[in-house]
Amino acid sequence: MTVTSPLLELRDLGVSYRTGGQDVAAVKGVSLTLGAGETLGIAGESGSGKSTVAMSVLRLLPRSAKITGEILLAGEDVGGMRWGRLRAVRWSAASIVFQGAMHALNPVRKVGEQIAEPIRLHGETGTAGTGAPDVRARVEDLLKQVDLPVGKASAYPHELSGGQKQRVMIAMALACRPDLIIADEPTTALDVIVQAQVLDLLGDLVAERDIGLMLITHDLSVLASACRRIAVMYQGEIVEEGPSATVMGTPRHAHTKALAAAFPTVGDPRSRFAPATAAPLPPEPDPPAEPSALLSARDLRVVFRDRGGAKVPAVDGVGLDVFENEIVALVGQSGSGKTTLARTLLGLQRPTSGTVSYQGEAMPTGGAGLRAYRRRVQLVLQDPTSALNPRHTVYEAVAEGPRIHRLGGVQGDEHSIVVAALEAAELRPAETYLSRLPHELSGGQRQRVVIAGALALNPSVLVADEPVASLDASVRGEILGLLLRLRRELGLAGLVITHDLGLAWNIADRVAVMYRGKLVEVGTVEQVLLEPRHEYTKSLLAALPMGTARAAEPGV
Amino acid sequence: MTSPVWQRRRAAAATLWQEFSRNKGGLIGLGFLVVVVVLAALAPVITDESGLDVITATGTPLQPPSWEYLLGTDVDGRSVLLLTFWGARVSLLVGFAATVLSVFIGTLVGITAAHFGGWLSAVLLRFTDFFLVLPSLVLAIALSSVLPKGIATIILAVGVTSWPATARLVRAQTLTIESRPYIERAKALGGGHAHIVGKHVLPAVLPLVLANTTLVVGSSIIAESTLSFLGLGDPTAVSWGSMLQTALGSGSVTAGAWWYLLPPGLAIVVIVLSFTLVGRALETVLNPRLKGDR
Repeated sequence: MTVTSPLLELRDLGVSYRTGGQDVAAVKGVSLTLGAGETLGIAGESGSGKSTVAMSVLRLLPRSAKITGEILLAGEDVGGMRWGRLRAVRWSAASIVFQGAMHALNPVRKVGEQIAEPIRLHGETGTAGTGAPDVRARVEDLLKQVDLPVGKASAYPHELSGGQKQRVMIAMALACRPDLIIADEPTTALDVIVQAQVLDLLGDLVAERDIGLMLITHDLSVLASACRRIAVMYQGEIVEEGPSATVMGTPRHAHTKALAAAFPTVGDPRSRFAPATAAPLPPEPDPPAEPSALLSARDLRVVFRDRGGAKVPAVDGVGLDVFENEIVALVGQSGSGKTTLARTLLGLQRPTSGTVSYQGEAMPTGGAGLRAYRRRVQLVLQDPTSALNPRHTVYEAVAEGPRIHRLGGVQGDEHSIVVAALEAAELRPAETYLSRLPHELSGGQRQRVVIAGALALNPSVLVADEPVASLDASVRGEILGLLLRLRRELGLAGLVITHDLGLAWNIADRVAVMYRGKLVEVGTVEQVLLEPRHEYTKSLLAALPMGTARAAEPGV
Repeated sequence: MTSPVWQRRRAAAATLWQEFSRNKGGLIGLGFLVVVVVLAALAPVITDESGLDVITATGTPLQPPSWEYLLGTDVDGRSVLLLTFWGARVSLLVGFAATVLSVFIGTLVGITAAHFGGWLSAVLLRFTDFFLVLPSLVLAIALSSVLPKGIATIILAVGVTSWPATARLVRAQTLTIESRPYIERAKALGGGHAHIVGKHVLPAVLPLVLANTTLVVGSSIIAESTLSFLGLGDPTAVSWGSMLQTALGSGSVTAGAWWYLLPPGLAIVVIVLSFTLVGRALETVLNPRLKGDR
């Protein structure tokens, strides 16, 4: 391995899939080089072809894929390799950390055995042999490298947390001492704190072992913190390539700009109340003289029982207010009880104790009272694809709420309510969407339909559970812009649940940080995100890949 | 608003038919069914009912097939062809009516158990299990010997013993539907039980129920024939089961009158096979899980 010959070189790579009798190009004319000790990030949205590039390196694409151009692995063409040579190269020269560690590990085998599998298969040469004690020693060595206790070798995947599983995947990728590691969305399903740990680990490995790392993700901020160079893919082509700082700081291509803007830097005044949206935002309305609490929770507790019958407090004494004309961001890791709190506020989950009240009146527990309450407080779910009945048209989905509440007695009224709601959710012209089915719409459009369905009831509070988590970066800003616009134009208050501090910085007025069922810190966005008091908030902010603007100032 | 909806429904029906027509067995079954149902419905028009009356029957008893009586005559001198013709009416009527009853109970129990959950579900499921393990034939015999003899009794006996399988299927399907987020959304919009079941669960469950129904018709016809054969049916109505019973009871079998046994027997086989073929074909078209295996 010399510095002069690159580890990986893609020359004019093109991949097309044959579907339904015609070729669909997934990757067009991609040329990239990656040397030893280098880190290259590939950014792009779903469907941009980034994963196809990763798979093509080890020829892992399905049979329907047609590859043109050259893939040179340490100077050797992968396309021309014979089957035996390809098997030898896979994993020992280059390995892949697959997306979604939850599904890439075999649930019925211990992780130690799974890490040992490539070592046994490849009969690794060098210091260790393939005898049982040697393999065990090597597995232990690998676990130490990824900061896992040696004892975890005898654990099954379900006994490990998401971050630990991801580290097992990295240990597997390292097993045969490859020169090149391709990590395909290695941190997508992970929390910010765990994400930072995994990225640190990958960075250390590159520095220590002088290997090449190709990191693929849709999150530019992750790439900016972990990679020296970034290539941005859009519709199968590389539209921009260069050093991280340049691509992030002064993006040239429109798509890069959209991607970069979608993940704002916390503390950057430019992105405060300015989500990446094309339409202009209305000015901030005058604040109401005396803001009154619309939705409030007092000492709310929700206790679940696990299989053993032990009590598990999901929400543990939460007191929270959502005032008129404000957006509150509820931030926390997965498992912190955010979603349970939201469901309780909507009356979908019965609290064990404590009260939820709307404008000072306790939430009714059932019957017509609860139905009336739900006209006022509405829900937007995380994944718009599953939140819409696939059999219902846009019209039926939006009219569902008005029909339940018998808002449009006459057919004409209902029609105008639906059209108005769609217009409010910025699906214009509304008439063209009415008879379409959810699968004919894009992810962002679907989320707008869900929002329109909530708006049709003319609510005063919108509870949105991770409203943009399953959307592509460029759509993200538009949906956030919509929420902000709705607040400013209609005075619609919002409780936005998210794990993403950048989102809070983008649109929220106040932030509530939730940790293990408790609210550890509540305050204005500036207070909480720029001058955090609680340790947990500090660790959340420290784990942000971009850091916060204020923290970064002295360094950069 | 209605026109695009109807257009789409028509298009959906067309794709459904296209996929169904790719299944040869299903097509053959459907063809047989159409022929039998049309013939049974037209029986009073194309045949003379008086031939069924023992007194006015023209033939001599147990005559082998001839040009006059294509399938021979029975012990009372009636045309076996005519009897088989008219028997189809009773068999199909009982088959369909019992199926409607059984599918109705099954769907009701299945959706209720899955939608409400809790102790209601526990009670309903144990109730279903009880009917599932009980030998349904024994239960049907007990029922039809207690209740007055007649077609209604047979329908009731078959109907109330064959629903547990449907209930289980519907419950499983309802549970998968109810775990979808759009149900949560409907609840948050303020939708009550009637709204969720009527708007979201039923439309999603019905296609599977329909496929299941065609399968249940076949087994209901068998059950009806069995009960009639055991002498529990309506003695005045001719059905395939009762034909077989008379054939056995009057000693025609020992007399070698094969023409008396074969037509109702074969008719049962053909009609049940057709229903099964159509049902299986519908199932593969409608159940996405089975689609990949073909």
